[in-house]
Amino acid sequence: MTYSDPPPVKLRQRHFLGIQNLGADEMLALIDRSVYFAELISAERDDAPVAQTLSGVTVVNLFFENSTRTRVSFEVAAKRLGASVLNISVSGSSVKKGETLIDTATTLNAMHPDILVIRHHAAGAPHLLSRHVDAAVINAGDGRHEHPTQALLDAVTIKRVKGRIAGLKIAICGDIANSRVARSNLYLLGALGADVRFVSPATLLPADIDKLGVPVFTDLTQGIAGADIVMMLRLQKERMEGREIPSQHEYFNLFGLDKDKIERAAPEAVIMHPGPMNRGVEIDSSIADDHSRSLITQQVEMGVAARMACLEALRPSPDHKQQQEAR
Amino acid sequence: MPHLLYNARLVCPERGIQEQGWLVTDNGLIEATSFDHDSFDDSITDRTDCAGQIVGPGFVDMRVQSGYPGSEHLETLESLLTAAASQGITSLAVLPNTEPVIDNAAIIDSLMLRAGGYGLSQLYCYGAMSRGLEGEQMAELGMMSKAGAVGFANSDISIPDAQTMRRIMTYAKMFNRPVIHHCAEASLTADTDMNEGETATRLGLIGQPAAAETLILQRDIALAEMTGAHYHAAHISAAASVAVIRDAKARGVNITADTAPPYFMLNEISVSGFDSSMKLTPPLRSEDDRLAIRDGLADGTIDAIASDHVPVDADQKTQPFSLASAGASALETLVPLSLTLVRSSHLTWQQFFQRLSAAPAHILGLQAGSVRAGMPADLVQINPDTAHIINPQHFVSLSRITPFAGLPCEGRVTGCWIGGEAKLSSGADKTGPA
Repeated sequence: MTYSDPPPVKLRQRHFLGIQNLGADEMLALIDRSVYFAELISAERDDAPVAQTLSGVTVVNLFFENSTRTRVSFEVAAKRLGASVLNISVSGSSVKKGETLIDTATTLNAMHPDILVIRHHAAGAPHLLSRHVDAAVINAGDGRHEHPTQALLDAVTIKRVKGRIAGLKIAICGDIANSRVARSNLYLLGALGADVRFVSPATLLPADIDKLGVPVFTDLTQGIAGADIVMMLRLQKERMEGREIPSQHEYFNLFGLDKDKIERAAPEAVIMHPGPMNRGVEIDSSIADDHSRSLITQQVEMGVAARMACLEALRPSPDHKQQQEAR
Repeated sequence: MPHLLYNARLVCPERGIQEQGWLVTDNGLIEATSFDHDSFDDSITDRTDCAGQIVGPGFVDMRVQSGYPGSEHLETLESLLTAAASQGITSLAVLPNTEPVIDNAAIIDSLMLRAGGYGLSQLYCYGAMSRGLEGEQMAELGMMSKAGAVGFANSDISIPDAQTMRRIMTYAKMFNRPVIHHCAEASLTADTDMNEGETATRLGLIGQPAAAETLILQRDIALAEMTGAHYHAAHISAAASVAVIRDAKARGVNITADTAPPYFMLNEISVSGFDSSMKLTPPLRSEDDRLAIRDGLADGTIDAIASDHVPVDADQKTQPFSLASAGASALETLVPLSLTLVRSSHLTWQQFFQRLSAAPAHILGLQAGSVRAGMPADLVQINPDTAHIINPQHFVSLSRITPFAGLPCEGRVTGCWIGGEAKLSSGADKTGPA
């Protein structure tokens, strides 16, 4: 397969709020562009920009939830395209001072950023923000709702390793109820023709999940049987102690991926995890660190490429930029 | 060596058969059963003539408190299992309120291993629903299920929080195990002595309304309906509860229920003499409640009769009523008291074996409750016509407090086979101490 230069993507919507807002053509275009960037940046070992498509563009990372890896990934992606980046970690302080999301948005708007990357613990926060700012908004994770760039980087990783997405059997395993990653991946990989299934303790499945058209398993070995991709989700610490599940010990025993259980997957099966991992809870170290199977490091690498494609897709049109400068 | 039981009135609740017949056991299993008078294999020399006797599948007692581990002074594992075998109770399920609590797989492993060493009745364990029976954090239901837990129970403590109960049901359903619940709304039962009503008022004791049971039952039924879990209401005592279960079953809810003999034998008036042997959990209710429980058993709304055996000693009972412990020794009264329902025609023999053997076996998923060929040769023989008086001094159980001391009963267990081995001298009537 050759990666001839796919053109920069232009999305039909001004914002990138979720996989659910994309058409299949846009998904494929973003994946192709990400794969192209991945090749480009793996050739360049320093941090220098590899393209200038975001030259003169200001990207603001607005993080209401701590996430070093996602923020850094967006920051590196923006810089690699020549953008200038501003990081705003909204610590408890301004929230505690009573500033609402809209107040923050109004303040930021006055600084005329071009792209706002937002991570928020409340589902729908990026959507609200998008209605109150002039910038294009990228959802970097909103509550339990969506994490579209994570899904995209997962798809890119799969595409690079397996050469395709359609027809692959992909088991997404763990805390489905609280996972935006699971939802975005279902929408993306499902739309592209993968056979996605969820595997989870019944207490960590949201109501009527099967109505989303995904087969659901409450037994890990059954759920990953014959899977080409086994994607493990992080179990949040606060869920480990007896509310939704009895204990870490039982969770690892029944739902943790180890050398025995992975034998049930397809022979060439690969393992993914959005990180950060709880070793000995959802995944055994022997699996996580097995580079012949584990794509976990590659996922991080693809994160930058995928976010480059997304940021680029939301770059302001030259007219819009001129209008802004005229103001 | 094959063993033949012949001339029996053979009852198979599973198949609804009750006929004169014979049965051959070999290698611990039932090898052949016939409901035909004449055609048994004459070459079998090891045989028991069961003329005049009822033979059926061994009883399954689904609610037993074990003294071991932790309270061996009240009941040892050996006394418990010997008492059970003496009554034809070939399988029993013990509650998790031991010391330590049965809330992890290791305790189940050790308890079952130890019980197996006696070669007596088969002991099964319920895993605690919540860690330490505290009603808050879910215990390791999956690991206990793998270790052989036949269901999950919280002994005599209701789970107060609906969300916790919902999660337990949702989680237990993954392992196809029933959730066995004692229904009592804690805010209504705290610090109470007996059933609420005229008797409590006359005695100056603090009453708890029957609604304390029905409230939690209704909540649990709503949760069972939502989660699809198998929910089992334990030792039901109130008329309103029977009605609620009947409705739920008609709607197709996955619910079963049991009761214990005191609730169809006695009512709250028995407390009148401040007799602390009458102090039970749940408390003895009104006469209307008693009749409703009896009718619920007759029509199958209540699936099973369990002993609700609670080892207590005299010291715990020799207290003013309100300070005395609740509970009674019940393994050795289960069968004679349940037989009164056959005498009074509320149950047929088939239904009797259904409530005491087939239904609890089915609820707990045990290989029991049938005399079909291929089943374990766990059998009981009953002489329905012999009379005796309940005398706790002759109990095998170390726990000898019972509300039924001195009660004349008709019918008693005369034979018990576990894995084909006779555990009582069989054939002839035991003319035991009366």
